[in-house]
Amino acid sequence: MEMYIDPHIHLVSRTTDDYEAMRKAGIVATIEPAFWLGQPRTEVGSFKDYFSTLVGWERFRASQFGIVHYCTMGLNSKEANNVALAEQVMELLPLYAGKEGVVAIGEIGYDDQTEAEDRFYRLQLELAKDVELPVLIHTPHRDKKKGTTRSMDVADEHGMDPGWVVVDHNNEETVKEVLDRGYWAAFTIYPHTKMGSERMVEIVKQYGPERIIVNSAADWGISDPIAVPKTANLMRKMGIPEEHVRLTTYQNALTVFGLSGQMDENDWLNAAPIDQTKKLGGNSVLRGGQVPRVEGPADRVEN
Amino acid sequence: MSVQMESKAFLLEVLGRSAAQKSLSWLQGQMEKLATEPVPAKFFLAFSQASRHFKKEALALSDADKAKAASLVEGFEPAFWNELQAARTVLLLSYPQEKAKWLEVVNQLFETGDMYEQQALYAALPLMPFPEDLLARAIDGCRTNMTLIFDAIALNNPFPPRYFPEANWNQLVLKSIFMQRPLYRIQKLDERRNPALADIASDFAHERWAAGRPVMPELWRLVVPYLNDRFFADLKKVLKSDDQMEVEAGILALYQCQSEAAKQLLQSRSEEVMAIEYGEITWEKLGADFQEKRA
Repeated sequence: MEMYIDPHIHLVSRTTDDYEAMRKAGIVATIEPAFWLGQPRTEVGSFKDYFSTLVGWERFRASQFGIVHYCTMGLNSKEANNVALAEQVMELLPLYAGKEGVVAIGEIGYDDQTEAEDRFYRLQLELAKDVELPVLIHTPHRDKKKGTTRSMDVADEHGMDPGWVVVDHNNEETVKEVLDRGYWAAFTIYPHTKMGSERMVEIVKQYGPERIIVNSAADWGISDPIAVPKTANLMRKMGIPEEHVRLTTYQNALTVFGLSGQMDENDWLNAAPIDQTKKLGGNSVLRGGQVPRVEGPADRVEN
Repeated sequence: MSVQMESKAFLLEVLGRSAAQKSLSWLQGQMEKLATEPVPAKFFLAFSQASRHFKKEALALSDADKAKAASLVEGFEPAFWNELQAARTVLLLSYPQEKAKWLEVVNQLFETGDMYEQQALYAALPLMPFPEDLLARAIDGCRTNMTLIFDAIALNNPFPPRYFPEANWNQLVLKSIFMQRPLYRIQKLDERRNPALADIASDFAHERWAAGRPVMPELWRLVVPYLNDRFFADLKKVLKSDDQMEVEAGILALYQCQSEAAKQLLQSRSEEVMAIEYGEITWEKLGADFQEKRA
């Protein structure tokens, strides 16, 4: 069976049906970037508990469906605009940046491209250098082209190695510059907005598979947690070589986020088989009467 | 030397035999930094990043090591620890033990820890200073749904039997049953049995029966000292189970009750009684067998 990585998905917002569907579609590993929750938080404690969820409960929840969960840590650009709160979040970040399975600082960057956003973006680029982690950049929805260029200008200014930086939410207008400057270009397949699968196929046709990454960025909005496998299948149907499919929907994400030293193919290739019986906790994902799914060694994902 | 310092030296010695030299130098460096400049942010980073230097491989311990551990702190069982836990505990015990400051940083670690960090923290409770101040934390930890963390508190850990009040202790045991954890690995389980827990256990068994589900054999260990008509009826029912493991548990519980009625009931069970007398049926064996075949 094909294996996919969704390197950008907000799983705290997704249901167990989604997890089931993702696993069935071949997703073996996911990266959950720290982001906002659809409305601004007002207390630093909300950030703390959210960050703890990313390295705790959500990781555990994913494992019960045979999916390895990694995350990125960061203060998102929207909430960087509450400066007093943002300063407190910056003090919190070193507590989480060094944790196991934290594969990047992100998603950080610009939203409205304000002064405050710029300040906290730069501080977090420095944090990434300190803890030797890659960076995941969120590019703005509005004034995207300029915002994307500016994100890279500032990263250059801080001496970031473009090979350690993923610029996310690209489109046809931004991809060329991102690739030309040596950065990784990620694309979010989002129904109705950003990129659709067909456009993605055209981009891979035009630019090839090098440093291009596909993700779903599925969250609490209308989005598709199996956008990555769907796009891969569309690529195949449209005659894109298998190796290009593998690079853009699996290997490239592993290569760049693997620079963290926190993400390794063995985490899923040699994972213990799913055994939900081991976790029949009071409020576990299994409820009374449900039959746990136990896979024998023969069901392990192999490649 | 304090217990903390002795425990730290012991863990370092054990780690020194198996961990890579590079990892040990990193740990030594962090310890020195913490001694001269105890900055919380640096401590948090070191505690997290220990995972980059130490593996989750079981500590290699000789019998002498195990005896030494038990002599340092009664019930300390590092045989159930891994190298990463040991390294994190060394860091924990290297932070200057000034009560208010120490508790502040350790509570911060508890509140922000990932799964494996929390595992290390809860398992290390018996080695920590100021145990009375950590009791509420340990009780709260039992509310977790993550088996790995629950096990670190409940199993092979002398902290709960020593400090938990009865109500919290009973919840810990009941949750262990609910999560199908091996009860024989809960320390001082026999000593801390109590009538309320026996009632709760029996109630739980009745709930399982009502739902047509099997009952964990080890549960019956809890009713042994308090045999009454109700528990006697329960055990009679257990003896009729189709599951040999449950039957053996019922017989063992009755055997240990030492009551006349129990003895009479066991007259037709001489084969199992002999197996008990030869040590072939024990709570440990039943518990381990259940974990392997049923849990």
